[in-house]
Formats: sequence, C-alpha cells, structure tokens
Amino acid sequence: MMPLTFPRSVAALLLRFAIWIAPHDTHDWGHGMLSELNHVEGHWSALLWALGGAGVLAKHAILALILPGSHRRTVSTASELFAKEPPMRKTTLAVIASCVVASLLFFLAPVFRQAFHVSLAQWHDVFHVKQSFGYPVPDPELDALAKKAEQNHDPELLAFVAIRERNQSESVRLADEAVHLDPNLTWLYATVAVHWSSFPELDRWVPALQKFDAQNALPYLITAEKIDIDQVVRESVPHRVEDEPAAWKDAMAGAFQSSKLDDYLDRRKEIDRRVLLHYRLDDPFQALADDCWYRLPSYGVSDSSQYAKLLIESGNSLEASGDHKGAAEKYLAVARFGQLMGPTDSFFLSREIKEDYRQLGTLAERNGNNTDAAFYASLSVQLDRAAEKQLASWRSDSRGSAVSRWNALLVRLSGLALLFCGALLFICAIGVMARGRSTRLSSLRPSPLSLVVGCSSAIGLLLASAVLLVSYLPYSELLQRFISTGDESGVPELSNFLGNTRVPLGTREYLGVSNAVFHFWFAVTVLCALALLVAVVRHVQTRPRATMTT
Amino acid sequence: MKTPRLSPQTLRVLESFIERPTAWRYGYELSRETGLKSGTLYPILMRLAKYSLLETKWVTTEDGVPPRHTYRLTPNGVELVRSTFATQRATLKARRPAFSGGRA
Repeated sequence: MMPLTFPRSVAALLLRFAIWIAPHDTHDWGHGMLSELNHVEGHWSALLWALGGAGVLAKHAILALILPGSHRRTVSTASELFAKEPPMRKTTLAVIASCVVASLLFFLAPVFRQAFHVSLAQWHDVFHVKQSFGYPVPDPELDALAKKAEQNHDPELLAFVAIRERNQSESVRLADEAVHLDPNLTWLYATVAVHWSSFPELDRWVPALQKFDAQNALPYLITAEKIDIDQVVRESVPHRVEDEPAAWKDAMAGAFQSSKLDDYLDRRKEIDRRVLLHYRLDDPFQALADDCWYRLPSYGVSDSSQYAKLLIESGNSLEASGDHKGAAEKYLAVARFGQLMGPTDSFFLSREIKEDYRQLGTLAERNGNNTDAAFYASLSVQLDRAAEKQLASWRSDSRGSAVSRWNALLVRLSGLALLFCGALLFICAIGVMARGRSTRLSSLRPSPLSLVVGCSSAIGLLLASAVLLVSYLPYSELLQRFISTGDESGVPELSNFLGNTRVPLGTREYLGVSNAVFHFWFAVTVLCALALLVAVVRHVQTRPRATMTT
Repeated sequence: MKTPRLSPQTLRVLESFIERPTAWRYGYELSRETGLKSGTLYPILMRLAKYSLLETKWVTTEDGVPPRHTYRLTPNGVELVRSTFATQRATLKARRPAFSGGRA
C-alpha cells in the first residue's frame, strides 16, 4: 500500500465525493476504484486514476438525475419492497448545494455586493413611495456616516453627509458643524444653500460666504433667490422686473459686478474623493450623487436673465439720451457676466447675451469703431456655436451609450433573476421540510417537481450571479479610477449606467405613484403573494395524513 | 442473450480476461495489461457486469489493507468471448487473399 501524500489524499477525497454523489447501484464500483487507488504506483498516476474514476461516477450521477429511472434499483425481496423510501437524491442535492455555495461565494467579493446593491436600485422608488410626495426618506447608511462624523469630529465627513442629506434641517445642522470645526469649509454653505434654497440660517450664511470669498457672485445669487422665494410664499411676485425690491436689485448688481462665479464643485469633488477613499465607501450612488450637483440656485438663471434685460433696457435709455459711455458700461456688465457663467449656464441666457452683443456692436459702429463691432459680431457667432455644442452634449448625455443601456438592462435582469431564483429555492426548501416534517437531510423526501424546480433555481442563481458580476465589473473599475485618481473621463458613462439601472424593468422612466407601471408591479406582487398563500393553504388541507392500523 | 457493444477497447479487456478465464482480476492490474485509463476501463467493466458477462467479488488480501474489488468472466462471458474471437478469426481468414504469401 502506498504512503499517503497530498496528490493521493486529493485523489481519495475526489473519489469519495464522486461516490457520495453517485447513484446507489454504482457505489460498489466506486469503492472498487477507491481501493485500487492504494495500489496505483506514483502519486500523480493515482490522481489521474481518481480523476478518471470520478468522471465515470459523475457521468452516472448526471444520468440518474436526467433519467431517474435508468438507475432505479429493482425491488427483489419483500423486505426491500417495504423498506423506507430512499433518501433525497444526493446528486441533485450536491448540484443544488454547489450552485448555492458558489452563488454565496460571489457575495464575498465587494464588487459583487456593490453590483447587487446597484441591481436593487430599480426597486428603490417602489419601496419609498413617500419620497414621491416630497417626504424625506431615511438613509440608514448616511445616518451611520453622520453619527461617525460627529463622533470623530471629522469636518470633511460632515460636509460629505451634509451635501447628501435628504432632510433640510439635518443637512443645515451638519454643514454648520463642519464649518465650525474647519472654517476653510465655509464654501459648504453655498453648496447646501443652492440645494435647499431658503431657510433661516441663510441670513447668517450669506455674510459668511461674502467674507470667505468676496469676489464670488454666488452669495449674491443665493440672496436674490431667497427674496424670490419669500415673494412666492407671500404671493406678492412683482410682474415687472422694475418693481423688484431694492434688496433684489442690489444683490443682482453685486452678482453682475463680481469678478468670478465659483460653484465650488472642484472643492466638493476633492472632499468627496478623500472621504470615499478614507472611509472606503463604495456605494456608486453615494459616490457620484449627481442629483446634488447643482451649479446655481434654481432661480439663478431666471434672475440673471431678468437683470440682464433690465441692464440692456437701461443701456438703451442712456444711449437714447446720448450717454454712450454709460450705455456701454451697462452692456459690458451683461457681456462680462455671460462670460463668468461659462458655457453651461450661459446657454440659458444666450438670447439676452446675443442681444447685448448686438447692442454693443451697434454702439461701436455708431462711434465709428468697426473693429470692435466685428469683434462683438464674432462673439455672437461663437455664442451660437457654443450653444449648439452644449445642446448636442446634453442630448448625448441624456441618451447615454448603447453599451451602458444594455449593461444596465443585464444588471437589472440578473438582479431580478437572483431574487426570483432565491425565492423559489427558499419556497422549495420550506415545502420539502414541511412535507418531511423535519430538517434532517436523511428524512427529506422531495417530490420530482421540487427537485426539478430546486435544481433549476440553483443553476439560475449561479448564472444570474455570474452575469451580474460580468455586467457590472467595467463600471466598478470606472468608479475606482474616479475615486483613486480623480479621473473623470468615465464618469458620464458611469452616470448614464447608474441612471439606467434606476429605471425599473418594463418602463422607460422612473417609477412614481402616478405611474401605471408602478400599479402594475404592485398588483403583480400582491397577486403572487396571494397565490403563494392559497397554494400553502391547499397543500396543508390536502396533505395525506398517516393512519394507524392495528 | 443481449450483448454489449464490442468496441476495440472492450475487446482488449476481454482478451485480457480470456488469457486466464478462471482467475479473479484487479482493476489496476487490468488497466496496466490493457493500457486503458480508469475512465475507459470501468465503464467497460460495468457494462459487462450489466449484461451478466462479468462477476465481481470483494477480497481481503492482507491485514490493514482495504478489501479489493475483483472481476472474472462468468461462463456466459467466457462463451461470448470465445465465440466472438472465433467469429473474428473466421472473418479475418475469409478476408485474407488466397495467395498472400503468408502462412498456409
């Protein structure tokens, strides 16, 4: 007999497993192969011997699974006829167990957990109906981070949570705490103020922002917006821009005289990356949080447009009265502010800015300065091109690439399949245990239907897990690249993908309580639950009861 | 009597058995004699046993060593092998050219 070495131990283990899954009538042969293993010369030859033998037994196991009758033992004696029903088919059990274990092993990989989380995003709005009515939905993960930030006195984490917090008062409180800990984060006031628009703390925050960054137009736009919102609340919105209160005009004048318009997006991204890296946060929705990335206050564009019109009209009046210098100053203030806004926001003001360039060109011609007139005309043409480019970019962003759409579809489908197969397996397991009235493996006697459904579900579970991982993997790499190096080249693709994963299957838009698809899925869920309940009740009622005979 | 498909590998196994028709043979021994791997040999043995051409027995060789599975042709098996080989020889003879220059 050969000494026991690693290859030989593996060979023996392999054959024992093969014997375990093999049908009963091949056990003798399996044990025969196993006993011969002791006499095979050479450790690697022994492993090859075991591999061959295990292959033979596995083939019989699969055949027994596909053709259950092909390996059924014939009952030859009376004692065998009345013997206990054979235990649950080991092969099927082994297949189911292997698939389930393999699927569970996927969950050990952080990328897969992330992918699974993303695949569940489509159900977020279904389970958070209150959000559609404007109620803040608690986010346990964010709440835990807030707690950790307060415990650690970490201003950056406080800022991270304050920007994402769905509850206004909590967001404002956290922002205050972050700035209190680190005054360099005063810009956070602007980000939170842009998101929430109007709250009492703004009276304190705006002066702090003006002191922090005196040349920035953003605090003035925030002030103007607060005045607008107060007017809406008091239902006293002026019909003409001339009727706006002096405070509003002062705020807008301050914005138009500022030398820059900084939304602090770069600082925010930098903090986000540091927090994500430091706390090892890998939730892509938290990492990108696109919906929070507003540049200007919601009234900012309309206020700017109105004030630009006011300045142009004022310039026209001055021009008519012969004050060409005063008129030019008014026109130039609008042109300068248009340049400050950058291509994205100036798109919404393009009509006013174009009119402004026209006025400046006409004024230059009147003064005999043809070079300036040609310059303003060229600026107007550039503005048109920039607007077209911006529009094309938005269209492309909103559609997203076909690859991200398909991958999002695969992620949603595989996530759904994962849940469906898991539920089926669970139901089968409960059914089999209820039938056997025991949780002991040896006493479980599943019906052929339970075996087929259980085995199919387990295989489905494994396949769905693999598809989910493969579909999500490229986006995980894009996210990691963004977090670790700040490379934003893949962010639009990632954002499109994440956006598409939030659209539930069967619809092309987000779910809401007013959406017919929401009602459809709700009805399907209720009907499935009812069907399951009826099936269980019927099974309990029709289950054959053991009768005692004497 | 139903017989299994006699592939060249099966014939090789049968040839090995017929050399000592009454002896009990071990799986590894057969594998070495025929040059067949366990993955090929055992399905053949199982098929022969299914058609009752082969009988099996567990034997204990020495103390502390697990018993070994041994195989031997049944009388039916021996008869089938003899008739098969006889037929094969006859076929070969019939196919051989009359003046091949070989043995008479």
